[in-house]
Amino acid sequence: MPIRLFRIDDRLIHGQVVLGWARALGIVDIVLVDDGVAASPWEQDLYRMAVPPEMQVEFVNTEQARRKLPEWRDGTMDVLLLTGEIETMVRVLAGVPDPPSVNLGGIHHRAGRTERLPYVYLTDEELAELRRLEASGVRVSAEDVPGAGAVGLKALG
Amino acid sequence: MITVSVGAVGLLLLWGTAVGLDLVSVPQGLLSRPLVSASVAGWLLGDVGTGLQVGAVLELFALDVLPVGASRYPEYGPAAVGATLLAVGLARAGGVGVGALLGLVIALFAGYTLDWLRHANARDVHRRADDLNDGSGLAIRNLQWAGLRRDVARSAGVTVVALGLALLGRVLLDGQVPLPRALTPVLVGVGVTAALSGAIRNAGRGRRLLWLGIGLAAGLALVPGLLP
Amino acid sequence: MTGEGRALLRLMVIQGAWSYERMIGVGMGFAAQPLLHDLEAATPERHREATARSSEFFNCHPYLAGLALGASVRAEHDGVAGAQIQRLRTALCSPLGALGDQVFWAGLVPILMSLALAAIALGGGGWVLAAVVVGFNLFRAAVTRWALRTGLESGMQVGRAVSASWLPRAAAKVAVPAGLTAGLAIPLTAAWLLAPGLGGDLLIASASAGVAGVLLRFGGARLTSLRVALLFAVLILLWTRFAP
Repeated sequence: MPIRLFRIDDRLIHGQVVLGWARALGIVDIVLVDDGVAASPWEQDLYRMAVPPEMQVEFVNTEQARRKLPEWRDGTMDVLLLTGEIETMVRVLAGVPDPPSVNLGGIHHRAGRTERLPYVYLTDEELAELRRLEASGVRVSAEDVPGAGAVGLKALG
Repeated sequence: MITVSVGAVGLLLLWGTAVGLDLVSVPQGLLSRPLVSASVAGWLLGDVGTGLQVGAVLELFALDVLPVGASRYPEYGPAAVGATLLAVGLARAGGVGVGALLGLVIALFAGYTLDWLRHANARDVHRRADDLNDGSGLAIRNLQWAGLRRDVARSAGVTVVALGLALLGRVLLDGQVPLPRALTPVLVGVGVTAALSGAIRNAGRGRRLLWLGIGLAAGLALVPGLLP
Repeated sequence: MTGEGRALLRLMVIQGAWSYERMIGVGMGFAAQPLLHDLEAATPERHREATARSSEFFNCHPYLAGLALGASVRAEHDGVAGAQIQRLRTALCSPLGALGDQVFWAGLVPILMSLALAAIALGGGGWVLAAVVVGFNLFRAAVTRWALRTGLESGMQVGRAVSASWLPRAAAKVAVPAGLTAGLAIPLTAAWLLAPGLGGDLLIASASAGVAGVLLRFGGARLTSLRVALLFAVLILLWTRFAP
């Protein structure tokens, strides 16, 4: 399974992702799925700078991600698939065979969200959405950096 | 037991507080690295050598910490100050190990106080959210100063605990109580593994690991020169 | 625009109110105030909105925060749409965090501490350490100043300015010296610490290092090096207390 990590993190590519996860897992390709960023060259330039030289980054929208998912999963390259929004991840994984695990990285405070973990703030709506995702066979757990210990969805509320 | 003056303990309290503040708030200028905080503590106590040794042991562990984002990590600065006070007071074989052990315990505990601080600041921010969203400069200033005051109190509190335990240790282990001699080499050994695993994580995979290997080979080649 | 000096001082305490809810947002707002002051008289409504935006959720490496601060303040003065400025801030979290973590936390800081350890082991003494701390802080102050200046000059174009600067190049190059110096320092430090009681101590240290390595590799995520050390210490204390 060459997609080594599916992560939801609203800061997208940052230190925890590149130094914490990508280096530890030997990732060579970071796939950033975000409709806004996929349509915005200047934002892509910024995110590209955050990627260490030994890795490459691809910017795709949700549709492209759904289309290319089997290719990444069957490929030989170690991939980290990253979304900023819960909804994007849900749409990417809707109905895929052999559902993977999803890692909640940082989902930060926004109006209406309450603290579930120091780095995970969710509205009740979002929590319900994650529960539906888990009911579809995807295992969901939170862990900001490798070694911090994964926290299951049940512990979030 | 080498006696220690009230004045010296007072200076250590100030230094430990400054070091605790350095880690996150201000100035983030390496003072909180255990090698630095322990050496200065040793200097204040008139024994730089012991401070350097205790600091070096703890620094090996600190090299395993990557403070990225909000992740939780141990805090070695004030811990190293307490560790040095204890080690200097014991001043006999095994003292460095016993001091460093106190430092490790305090570092673990101090990491939790950072978590408390960030929660307390978050509650504060949450309470003033309406003012912030309204563009109140006063709310920003109040929150900033409250955060800084809280960190001063936190750092001072951790330092008081560290110094208190160190003084207690000096009394309990006074004179003839034999110290566990194996402690120093065991902690150095685990520290070597800690620093190595930090370096391997930083290097990632591939060619960069090679440079770590070259460094190790060079270091090992220089070792015989250090031995008596 | 006035207030650059005061903003620079405030950038030194950028993390003073670090919270899980806004991370360094409040610190950013605090540092932005002297720079937004001019707007207050000219366009009070814009000033109020800009102040609110300045303290929203933000995080990046503290030494590089000036780039985001300067860029967003410049954009506020230039009258750029608020939503655009928010997008810029969000996107800047990423490179300014990742580049800073690579260059400083995983680069310069371990390099300097490793060099200091090696120098002390080779007989350098406390002066090496003083030089390292002073040198690092001078560099850090220069970086902070550069970041604010560059941000203020480039506004919405800050991404181009950062990518053309020394930062990405440093991030690409820093891993080699980081590996070299760590490798150099670790055996030297261990030998220096163990030299007084060599022989038996070396054996104990090697065995501890080996067992700790196995535990860290296979012991699960919660077994950190610090916890392994405490575990070993407890075992030793029990042994010395109860051994025959």
